[in-house]
Amino acid sequence: MPTTQENWNPGKAANRHPEVSYEEKERLFFEVKNDPRYEDFLYGCYECGICVSTCPSARFYDYSPRVIAQAMAREDVERIYDIIAEDIWNCAQCFSCLRCPRGNNPGGLVTLLREVAVKNGLQETKDVLQGYSRVIYKVMLKGNQVSPDMLQPDFFPDWGPWVGQFSANMPVWRKAIPVDTLRGVTDAAWKTNRKTLLELYTIWFETGNMDIIKEIDEGLYDLLADVMQEELEEG
Amino acid sequence: MSNKVLVIGGGPAGLEAARSAAELGGEVILLEKRDRLGGTPDREGYAKLTHHWRDASEAMAELAAAVTNHARVEVKYNAEVKGMSGSAGNFEVKIEAGGKAETLHVGSIIIATGFQHFDPGRATQYYNYYTFPDVITLTDLEKMLKEHNVVRPSNGQPPKKIAFIQCVGSRDRQIGNEYCSKVCCGIASKQAIELREQLPDSKVMIFYIDMRMYGYWENEIYWKAQEQHKVNYVKGVISEVLKKGDQLLIRGEDTTMSRPMEVTMDLVVLSVGMEPSAGTRAIAQLFGVKQNKYGFIEAGGESGLDTVATSVPGIFVAGAAAGPADLNDSISSAGLAAARAMALVRA
Repeated sequence: MPTTQENWNPGKAANRHPEVSYEEKERLFFEVKNDPRYEDFLYGCYECGICVSTCPSARFYDYSPRVIAQAMAREDVERIYDIIAEDIWNCAQCFSCLRCPRGNNPGGLVTLLREVAVKNGLQETKDVLQGYSRVIYKVMLKGNQVSPDMLQPDFFPDWGPWVGQFSANMPVWRKAIPVDTLRGVTDAAWKTNRKTLLELYTIWFETGNMDIIKEIDEGLYDLLADVMQEELEEG
Repeated sequence: MSNKVLVIGGGPAGLEAARSAAELGGEVILLEKRDRLGGTPDREGYAKLTHHWRDASEAMAELAAAVTNHARVEVKYNAEVKGMSGSAGNFEVKIEAGGKAETLHVGSIIIATGFQHFDPGRATQYYNYYTFPDVITLTDLEKMLKEHNVVRPSNGQPPKKIAFIQCVGSRDRQIGNEYCSKVCCGIASKQAIELREQLPDSKVMIFYIDMRMYGYWENEIYWKAQEQHKVNYVKGVISEVLKKGDQLLIRGEDTTMSRPMEVTMDLVVLSVGMEPSAGTRAIAQLFGVKQNKYGFIEAGGESGLDTVATSVPGIFVAGAAAGPADLNDSISSAGLAAARAMALVRA
């Protein structure tokens, strides 16, 4: 292999996404690196693995916050792209990794990587977020939360292997130990005041949230935008 | 009973031992085999010290001046020890200084004959130091840094990609040096910082087994190199250095990424460790002081805590003659050796 920037990194990842050019991968990398938060999120990495040992996702997925910090520090552009395409959605954003002795914030790096993935509408990001369209639809349009019954036990492997068993008995347990905020309702959420709802719609548009949705899921965007704009016009 | 203290070696440890003993009221004779003081840092042209980033020549000149300006220290240059007899309190040491034979009567002796850098040409490490001009040692690089002229020896051009290989000649059963040389992690990191300052466009990588940045070297050198100067540290030792075009190909494993690697470099720096100097080996045999299996002078006494005592009463050891040591260690042990040597001649 000729000496290029690509083969600078020792142990660098192979090119697993040949459909994306190196220049494009590098552009995404620099978008992350040039974020003003970046220098507070990554000082230097010991590669000690304390972040992995505290990470709930690392127990259930082939996921390593250490590799993310390392790949960023080493400017391993190919691997960063793999991480953007495949790894970042495995993070629960719990920030247990803040235990880092160097004061790094791998979870924060994931936040930056996610933002770049979403803003650039990567195909892999679209695929991953497909499953969330129902949640997004509910939260953004109705202005209320996801009802307990909407959550399927197989959504989140990091909840642990027993969640299926727990879910089976959940209705009985909820009756036995009432959860105050649910008030016995698990298949519906509260009704949002219309004024609040219109304010929310305005916020979604003004803050660029709708642009992000458009980038990721155009069908969902059309659905949301139609209703929201109509309601906003009605006032 | 002689009240004189003989210090052998005019490097940092010997200079500090001589100064301390003189300040404690002793009559000191300092023997130096060269025609100038300053020891290895001076002879090898060290650039900056890890201590306050000081210029090595200046710092050594200060240590030397404290000795040459002291009325109770007599420095003998171009000196060599030829023989020794007697015992603690009454040593008779035959020397030759400036071509003239002399016999010295001293009460105690401090050996401060130091170390030498490991010669990377020795077998079993396939780094091709004597074959490829662009494979150099810490000592070679130190000279270039001092002159602010870091270039690839093969073509005189500044290198863009530079690799340090740690533990060359240390921690290796096959080589016979099983010990850690203590300073090379710090020196490599210090040089990496200087490289990035002098060649801002360069990429610098350090390949290591463990980084042994004890004490404040951790935050003052290691973190500084990594965080401010973007020096990359990769855990994994290079097995061999080969030629690829006009570059060097290094082979190893990126262990934390779990991948074998082959990368090209413009310059490869071998972080050579410490071995006992020829002077240390010779003086140990001449004086009959016990050496450890690596040739360093065994120190510690019966308790293990008598850190400057040799196996011969009245003969003390300071600095890297007793094993790998940085300047702090060397100078601290020299002060203790001076105190112990003075206590003996005053008893």
